[in-house]
Amino acid sequence: MSTTTAPPPRVETPLRRFAAEFAESRIAVGGLVVFVLIALGALFAPWITPQNPYDLMQIDIMDGRQPPGTSGGAGFTFWLGTDDQGRDMFSAILYGLRISLLVGAGSALIAAMVGASLGLIAAYAGGRTDSAIMRLVDLQLSFPAILVALMILAFLGKGILNVVLALVIVEWAYYARTVRGSALVERRREYIEAAHCLALPTHRILFRHLLPNCLPPLIVVATMQVARAIALEATLSFLGLGVPITEPSLGLLIANGYQYMLSGHYWISFYPGIALLITIVSINLVGDHLRDVLNPRLKR
Amino acid sequence: MRFSLRKAALAAVPALALGAAGAAQAQSITIAVEAPITSVDPHFHNLSPNNGLADVIFGALVNYDERVRPQPGLAVSWRAVDDTTWEFRLRPSVRFHNGNPFTAEDVAFTLARVPTVPNSPSSFATFTRPIVGVEILDPLTIRFRTAAPYPLIVTDLASVRILNRATHEGATTEDFNSGRVAIGAGPYRLVAFRQGDRVELERFDGYWGERPAYQRATLRMITNNAARTAALLAGDVDAIAAVPTSDLARLRADQRFVISEADSVRLIYLALDHSRDANSPGIQDAEGRPITDRNPLRDVRVRRALSMAIDRAAISQRVMEGTSIPAGQFLPEGTYAYVPELRPTPFDLEGARRLLAEAGYPNGFRITLAGPNDRYVNDARIIQAIGQMWTRAGVRTAVEAMPWTAYVPRSDRQEFSAFLYGWGSASGEPSSPLRALVATFNRERGMGPSNRGRYSNPEVDRLLEEALRTVDDAARERILQQAIRVVFEDVGIIPIHIQKNIWAMRRGIAHVARADELTRPQDFRPAN
Repeated sequence: MSTTTAPPPRVETPLRRFAAEFAESRIAVGGLVVFVLIALGALFAPWITPQNPYDLMQIDIMDGRQPPGTSGGAGFTFWLGTDDQGRDMFSAILYGLRISLLVGAGSALIAAMVGASLGLIAAYAGGRTDSAIMRLVDLQLSFPAILVALMILAFLGKGILNVVLALVIVEWAYYARTVRGSALVERRREYIEAAHCLALPTHRILFRHLLPNCLPPLIVVATMQVARAIALEATLSFLGLGVPITEPSLGLLIANGYQYMLSGHYWISFYPGIALLITIVSINLVGDHLRDVLNPRLKR
Repeated sequence: MRFSLRKAALAAVPALALGAAGAAQAQSITIAVEAPITSVDPHFHNLSPNNGLADVIFGALVNYDERVRPQPGLAVSWRAVDDTTWEFRLRPSVRFHNGNPFTAEDVAFTLARVPTVPNSPSSFATFTRPIVGVEILDPLTIRFRTAAPYPLIVTDLASVRILNRATHEGATTEDFNSGRVAIGAGPYRLVAFRQGDRVELERFDGYWGERPAYQRATLRMITNNAARTAALLAGDVDAIAAVPTSDLARLRADQRFVISEADSVRLIYLALDHSRDANSPGIQDAEGRPITDRNPLRDVRVRRALSMAIDRAAISQRVMEGTSIPAGQFLPEGTYAYVPELRPTPFDLEGARRLLAEAGYPNGFRITLAGPNDRYVNDARIIQAIGQMWTRAGVRTAVEAMPWTAYVPRSDRQEFSAFLYGWGSASGEPSSPLRALVATFNRERGMGPSNRGRYSNPEVDRLLEEALRTVDDAARERILQQAIRVVFEDVGIIPIHIQKNIWAMRRGIAHVARADELTRPQDFRPAN
């Protein structure tokens, strides 16, 4: 089927069918809607929130640890309470989501590019190149991700860019392995042989012909990895190795509040925890269903 | 398990429960401490948890009372024979746990052993080094000779726990840890030492001093704050040290527990970069460009403004939950050489802005404030709060918190402009912080070893040297007070607060809280 039609209509129809198939699952659509809402909230946080929690000028230690619903000195209500430094939790969660989503999506995208390229090269070149790359992948996957990330951050120091870099190093191997698997199948197909016969340059074969046909599994892995990256970033921040303390992401907000759990100030870590949970679950719902829709074996 | 269930059932009848629990548990006590005890060898590692245990098993010539004032210990009295000779009269008929008598020979042996302990991570030799000669006059009289007048000999000897020559000749640190030679003249003897887990102790009935209340005592090392509190709430332990400030309100409100607290001798302060004339690493002008022609922190008006901009009462209330005392000098009230008129700098935002403008920074400047996030009580929260306060005064502050192990080497390399540290004056008198924190840095002469901001003031150096030569206590106190005045009027460092040490225990136990952070079973007893 994939060899019968020219590119434009071929892309068009499957997409429409894909959309229809995706819409079959209410849960997945619900997940997508929730995720879009969260993403919009994060994107427009500076216009939605009553406070910029990262500006030390705007937060006041005297507002610290106020329960949800308290009216603060700044003239607005802390609907979700405040943390120990007097940050409005609602504002802090939306700003924290910005960082979490940015780090999660950014690292997943970069890791996908790096991993997919290496996977394609491995599958297409075969032989020693293939072995070398895949052994590197095995090596990478044999270490617990959190351990590798911890070591990288301990070496590079804190900061958002370093977290992204650490996550890319931890995650690229998953993409490489996935893409290599499907590329190995695709490269024996007739259209690749035809491309060979036309003497097309290698990079063109790799990225214009092979890659598009490896995309479905890549998209599924990428969706799952975004959720994983967000969780990993939260873990790193929770351990105090991620973002700066004055610009907390969700993980750091949870870590700050964790110390107050026994003293009854539950909201400091409860609400960021809920936000993290909802984000990851919604992404995973979408990802799960994407896998079902895009998996040719599950079709028909 | 069944036993605790029965206890829980009894708790329905409060009076009965109190009586039963009190009678059943008066014989033993379990205390959770906050940091691991690394060794039983009293001369191996100069660390508060180890020193606490050393106070339990061993004894020193001089003991500190709960407010770090020197008291007679294994020595009953001492006097300066002349400027460089000290005579100590030893306590008669004291016996070690194995029955050996305590004599001047043991003191000489101990002083000889201290500098020779191999692989010591933090040696006790600094306390014995000033002593250049030992002379035994009779079994209960010993004289120490120092190269120069050295008035701190009495407080220094409080850190040197005495061993027994007959028992400890050739003993290694491992021999102490295994319990084989963990024999001293202290109120408890060692039953078992499990590294990183617990220490089990039994009362020594031949102890010369006041008899401890509990027959058996266990020190459990629970380093995680939440776990320590949880252990107390669950009844696994009878008392905990270093109560986390976030759990304090809850424990205070709970009728089942009582709190004991003492002002510590640990100052939390900000050090400032005095070493550079320009281009201080964490400082930019109001627009974010480096300041290449001067270092604002070299101007006393700027330092004073930074100190005035800090609302110490707010930090004490909101961050520390009342477990700190705003500070204006090294040590709390009531200590030796305390300067009564040197109060904590009052919070004055307008005054701070005025001073900054006067110093040539009407629009303020930017600064990075660094600190550890795992060393002092609420360290990272304190620097964030100060960041808020400085930013309001016009000094836009970026806050950088990092683990202690990353922080110390960077601050040792002078990579910070403003940074948070703490100093516990274990000797309870101010010559230690003066010498360590504000004396001009000089490696050869051992001055300013922790002066990481490289503050240097010839007047302070001169007064300190004079004090260290003065054997007369009253005269030395006046000189030290003068040195402290000079340091804090010049804002050499910015004092924030003095921590309080806090313990929590089951109702029915009484505890004498100590300023020096040591947790010792002999300080606990059944209440009433």
